[in-house]
Amino acid sequence: MSKKIFIDFKRCIACKACEVACEMEHGEARIRVFEFPDLTSVAFNCRHCEKAPCMEVCPVNALSKDDDGAVVLDPLKCIGCLMCAVACPFGIPKIDEYNKIMDKCDLCAHRRAEGKLPACVSACPTEALKYGDINDVLWAREGKIVAELKDIGDRTNVLEAYLIR
Amino acid sequence: MAEKLVPVVCPWCSVGCRFYIVNVNGYPKKIEFDYEHDTRNHGKLCPKGVSSFQYLRHPDRLKKPLKRVGERGEGKFVEISWEEAIREIAQRLKEIKEKYGPEALAFLGSERCSIEENYVLQKLARALGTNNIEYVCRMCQSTAVAGKGMVLGHPGLTNPFEDILKAKVIVLWGYNPAATNPVFFGQYIEKAILDNGAKLIVIDPRKTKTAKYADMHLQPYPGTDLAIALAMLNVIITQELYDKDFVAERAEGFEELAKTVEKYTPEWAEKVSGVPAELIRKAAITFATAGTAALLTNEGVNQHANGTRTVMALTEMMVLCGYFGKEGVMSGAIPGAHNGMGAGLMGVEPESLPGKFPLHAEEHRRRIEEVWGFKIPEKPGITYVEMIDAILEGKLKALYVMGTNPAKALPNLKKVEEAFKNIEFLVVQDIFLSETAKYADIVLPAAAWFEKDGTAISFERRVQRSFKAADAPGEAKPDWEIIVMLAKELGLGEYFNYSDVDDILREINRTIPPLAGATPERLKKNLKGCMVPCPDENTEVPRLFVQGFLTPNGKAQLIPVEYKEPGEVPDEEYPFWLTNYRLVGHFHTGTMSHRSKSLSKRWPEEYIEINENDAKRLGIKDGDLVRVETRRTALVFKAKVTPHIREGVVAAPWHWDFNYLTTDVLDEYAKMPELKTAACRISKVEG
Ligand code: SF4
Ligand code: SF4
Ligand code: SF4
Repeated sequence: MSKKIFIDFKRCIACKACEVACEMEHGEARIRVFEFPDLTSVAFNCRHCEKAPCMEVCPVNALSKDDDGAVVLDPLKCIGCLMCAVACPFGIPKIDEYNKIMDKCDLCAHRRAEGKLPACVSACPTEALKYGDINDVLWAREGKIVAELKDIGDRTNVLEAYLIR
Repeated sequence: MAEKLVPVVCPWCSVGCRFYIVNVNGYPKKIEFDYEHDTRNHGKLCPKGVSSFQYLRHPDRLKKPLKRVGERGEGKFVEISWEEAIREIAQRLKEIKEKYGPEALAFLGSERCSIEENYVLQKLARALGTNNIEYVCRMCQSTAVAGKGMVLGHPGLTNPFEDILKAKVIVLWGYNPAATNPVFFGQYIEKAILDNGAKLIVIDPRKTKTAKYADMHLQPYPGTDLAIALAMLNVIITQELYDKDFVAERAEGFEELAKTVEKYTPEWAEKVSGVPAELIRKAAITFATAGTAALLTNEGVNQHANGTRTVMALTEMMVLCGYFGKEGVMSGAIPGAHNGMGAGLMGVEPESLPGKFPLHAEEHRRRIEEVWGFKIPEKPGITYVEMIDAILEGKLKALYVMGTNPAKALPNLKKVEEAFKNIEFLVVQDIFLSETAKYADIVLPAAAWFEKDGTAISFERRVQRSFKAADAPGEAKPDWEIIVMLAKELGLGEYFNYSDVDDILREINRTIPPLAGATPERLKKNLKGCMVPCPDENTEVPRLFVQGFLTPNGKAQLIPVEYKEPGEVPDEEYPFWLTNYRLVGHFHTGTMSHRSKSLSKRWPEEYIEINENDAKRLGIKDGDLVRVETRRTALVFKAKVTPHIREGVVAAPWHWDFNYLTTDVLDEYAKMPELKTAACRISKVEG
């Protein structure tokens, strides 16, 4: 089943713990925090798209999906042609200037192999970053609303409560 | 490769986050998150925590004792042996003591060292016959300690972190936890707001990442918070929003207080603080009618010449509404460093003994003298900032500094530099050659936090053990070991008979009754630690004031407070209010964080925030260089033009050179210097 990092920008406080945590794992941060003039901020990393354009354009099949659905790069195959960087609508794959091959988020494959969460998700003090299956994440959100409605429902008419909201 | 995971307490702020250091053959390789234990941080960390092993192996680390060869302040030293260093320090201290008396000696402890280390340092000072022993609490928490002490009899955070999740309203006053305590903010405050619907009231001249979540944001001129607090008291009392039963039962002095605040209407406060009267009224009503409330303060309240008064007024607001002793409530000020509270509790203070008992508390003095085996000097010592004046007056001849950096942390730094140039003998024991160490006669290399075992007390009053996770570089030693070596050389060995930190902690258990139950065995077995007071091994006190307050008669003392201006306010010559703040990626004077690669890369330099309308008027554009001048001196900053600071106020992060600008006016009760505001003028640097 495909798992992803979900970003709840309402919770982000631009502390950059995610960037620093990623940098600790990979030497270079693959996640970036963008701050806007109105004080909102968004951490931004690879979306690991279902139909990943980077994967589709790679001439040597250096990019593939692993069992968790992460788009990962095989550094031994990569020829540094930059096609993936051009194709990615989010500008994610970056060239590693030293090795002249691409570098991108792999949802911390080595950590997942040990049963750990991606580093950025582990660190994020506000839980603005969540790792999981989309249905679980959505259910967690919906579940809360349903639970609230149920709570009100116990006291009044559910439908009425829903309409009032 | 022998890889080991060692549990540690985070070395920076006072949330008390836990994590592991991954140790490979004594070398700290990285950190790992703690997923399993029931930690206060739920495994989460901020950028400082994640990168906290980086400064450990920085090439600047002190590895051998040093002796000064150049001028003071120049930073020129030669390496010497430990024997030589300790011998010379002992000899000079003895000489100075004989020639001028013990009061010519002074010691500075550290919020960054363990309770064990602070305990032995204050014991050494007292064994040498002086109470001149202090630490930086004087500059961040002392007004809160004094203010809450007078009203409630205890300054500690009242409730466990979880209680904030149940608060209906949260007031963050002069406190920006999103930047200073991100994990506490994310795991508790933000959840209370976003998930549980708590209302947030923020009082801060800047619109911060915390204020982003506020329902009401009051932006006073720096240091005029007291006016707002008094006006809120006025509203709560005149509109009869207070808890009459609670006040009748558990407080005294209500009538006096009510009479005093009568004149402090919201309209009056608007004139003083610049915050609309209606907003103050709304905030007071929201706070008083919430049912449960958390009111957390920090340096925006504390570091002012009227700091103690403001803390008293705010504490009285909590009392009036009857919030103390309940679930879903929280009140307190947040120490800056991971052991800010612990050092104070160890008696690293000129007027109190271990356990924070006042020096004149006969019964406790006797008891401690019995444990120690020598007499404690009776004359109170002098406070941190007063030490600088005493050096300049020639009264203080020797200063021993453990793990703290006054040459950057104190206000009015030119004066401090002058003092350190003229002191007779200065010893600095630290992990880097700090600004202060450059003036020292002898510099001693200390082990950093992860390189030793030790205990710290977080702002939740939680006592936690941290374990040795890496070897210290070169010949660096744990601070407690250095103090014990020195004590032996001074001929005081019989009082310092410790072979490890557990020995010291066991003596602390005996000396400080509220810590009797925080034994080495308990803390090693139970990584979550326990909350002070913990009078025996099975007890802890998560919530304070459930029964009564800790004043002599158990009642809160509603001492009336009158308005007092901050120490320096703008005038025609210096028309702007200047204030400072912290960045999430830096810590205090930057001794460690400026040397952390990932942090200094993201937060590389200082700058000054200026309101867009002020900037337009002065012809300043974003990124221009501006000269900021106070009565002390001038500094040049890059301008950051923003709508997020109120007009008439400019603000800069303080981790760099900010304190050259600040004034050393003191709060009358706590002797806290006014670090948070000064009057300044600004001009664009042309060319
Ligand atoms: S999943 Fe790992 S690689 Fe990807 S952004 Fe997070 S920390 Fe970086
Ligand atoms: S760690 Fe979380 S809160 Fe901090 S910047 Fe990253 S996403 Fe935002
Ligand atoms: S919040 Fe404080 S204690 Fe926690 S990781 Fe950050 S600096 Fe360390």
